[in-house]
Amino acid sequence: MDRVPVLKLGDVLIVSIQVDLQDQGVLALQEDLADAVVATGARGVIIDITAVEIVDSFIGRMLATIASISRMLDAETVVVGMRPAVAITLVELGLSLGGVRTALNLEKGVALLNSSEDTQIAAAAR
Amino acid sequence: MTGDELIRLRVLDDRDVFTMRRVGREVAEMAGLAGSDQIRVATALSEIGREVLARGLAASAAFLLGRDTLTVTIDLPADTGFQRADGVTLAGRLVDTIECDPSGGRVVMVKSLPAGRARPSAEMIRTRIAALAPVSALDELRRQNRELAETLEEVLQLNTELEETNQGVLALYNQLSAELEETNRGVVALYAELDEKSGQIREAGDARNRFWTTVSHELRTPLNSIIGLVRLLAGPGGEPLGPEQFHQVQLIGSSAETLLALVSELLDMAKAESGRLDPQPSAVDLIALTERLGMVLRPTSGLDQVTLSVEVSESSPEMLVDEAMLTKILRNLLSNALKFTERGEVRLEVAPDAATHEMVFTVTDTGIGIPAEHLERVFEEFYQVPGPIQARAKGTGLGLPYARRLAEAMGGTLRLSSTVAGATAAGTATGGTTAVLRLPRRHDGPPVVGRVLVADDDDEFRATVRRMLTGFAAHVDEASDGLAALELMAGALPDLVLVDLLMPRMDGAALLLRMAEDERLRTVPAVVVTVVTSHQYPQTARAVISKHGLSRETLLEAVRHAVEGGGE
Repeated sequence: MDRVPVLKLGDVLIVSIQVDLQDQGVLALQEDLADAVVATGARGVIIDITAVEIVDSFIGRMLATIASISRMLDAETVVVGMRPAVAITLVELGLSLGGVRTALNLEKGVALLNSSEDTQIAAAAR
Repeated sequence: MTGDELIRLRVLDDRDVFTMRRVGREVAEMAGLAGSDQIRVATALSEIGREVLARGLAASAAFLLGRDTLTVTIDLPADTGFQRADGVTLAGRLVDTIECDPSGGRVVMVKSLPAGRARPSAEMIRTRIAALAPVSALDELRRQNRELAETLEEVLQLNTELEETNQGVLALYNQLSAELEETNRGVVALYAELDEKSGQIREAGDARNRFWTTVSHELRTPLNSIIGLVRLLAGPGGEPLGPEQFHQVQLIGSSAETLLALVSELLDMAKAESGRLDPQPSAVDLIALTERLGMVLRPTSGLDQVTLSVEVSESSPEMLVDEAMLTKILRNLLSNALKFTERGEVRLEVAPDAATHEMVFTVTDTGIGIPAEHLERVFEEFYQVPGPIQARAKGTGLGLPYARRLAEAMGGTLRLSSTVAGATAAGTATGGTTAVLRLPRRHDGPPVVGRVLVADDDDEFRATVRRMLTGFAAHVDEASDGLAALELMAGALPDLVLVDLLMPRMDGAALLLRMAEDERLRTVPAVVVTVVTSHQYPQTARAVISKHGLSRETLLEAVRHAVEGGGE
């Protein structure tokens, strides 16, 4: 089971899901991410789902859960790069990913985090 | 819900669900569905799959491609109460129709296809889907797993059968063991019986020998009386008898003498039979012995047509042998030869055979001979070759068997060879019998040891040893205990001491100890001759030999060894 890498950029953790996620992978990601937030003291988490084609109710709920957990650990979560088909499907399913903020792409996600909080990303500041 | 079946998948765990939705997306793509519809189909399958798994059901999904619909049927075990649950409801939002038949165990999901879109044939789609490696590999693995499980089951069954067979074999083995044991017991019992029987036979043999001895002995006494009385009657001192009376008395006398000779032979034979023949060798002058024999036997030849000649090899006129036994054998052979030779010569030759270390006594006659078929039988007791001369001659048929027994008792052999007289074409051929007696030559020549001291409290044993050492040792001293032995040794230093361990006053071990302490006696080699077997033998003993079954060879060998060892 491939693990999804968690990258740290300043105060933000970036998770880029490049494969079609299996359930085990999502569960593992949830744990890895919680550990990483605690370990790094990150203020924001960006989950990039550009490569994810299918988000069903389970994965949708998991994304919401990850966002809730991060918020508990004092980190804001932004899901970025959602494909149109995925968005449509989610809506049709009746899932709104409540509590999860979204942004169109990584850049806007970073900007969103910067504007809402006083989170600073070292790379972006320069 | 009609169309070509593209693929059928099993749905047992979350990986299967993953595979199913990937296949769903591929199929949807190839069936000509737009991007978002592909995602819808895949997501719907994912939702249904999760629902199935959440309820712990084993399902299979079939993808059917119709003319304008893509149908996915999911077969479940019947009557599991699979209602339109959340997953199915959610999926229903993504596809055109979804039907759920809980009693039939089937969920049918239909997605209509856009019209007029070119799409590959069902066959091609099938091939493409099959290329999704993980699916087939997983299936293959699963199939193999199942087969493996089946094989395992078979193996287990086989194992059980084998175990049963094993038990059968074990039972058989136990049964066989039991039978074998029983048979064994039978054999042991049989063996004991055999032992008993052989004991009885031995006893019977002993009894027979005792009977012979007793009868012969009891017969001899009255016979001697008769002979004595006849001598008195016919002798010059008695009252004169009439000629007829004198003749009759003479007849009585000769008959009694014949009978006595017969009884004596019987007695000798009985002795030989009982195995009590113990040769007592001594140095014998063969020339003197043969001359005595000749003198005794010559008159009995009666007619002057037979000559008796004796020839003894000059090189070895002396031999270590039991004189009485040798005399008996030679007398038997010579008297036999004389008895059955009417004219010609009876000849005794004595010569050593260097090759075999034997002394060869050859008795040759020119007599009637013994037919070949009787040659071995004449060594049977009471056997006589049938014929006119044999009938005339007096004899019991015991002479040759006895001679052979004596020869064997002395470690020698006695053989006969013969040709029958007359009856040939020339008519002048003379027959003849040759008897060859071969006796092993014991040590002859100078004595090996000068003086031997025998320390033993058993008189008989000392006498035996003295006899055995005759010719081998120049002098034999005897002492009945350790102290006597020390006194004797003080007088004349022996070359060798034979020591018995159990003696009164001073035992063998003490004697050896005292000898070891004495400077003069220390060098005298000692041989322990004892009945004690589990004794700690004294270190100074050169050799230990057992009194039981002590033979002359063993003793001489030990003595020779001890003496030679002392010279080193």
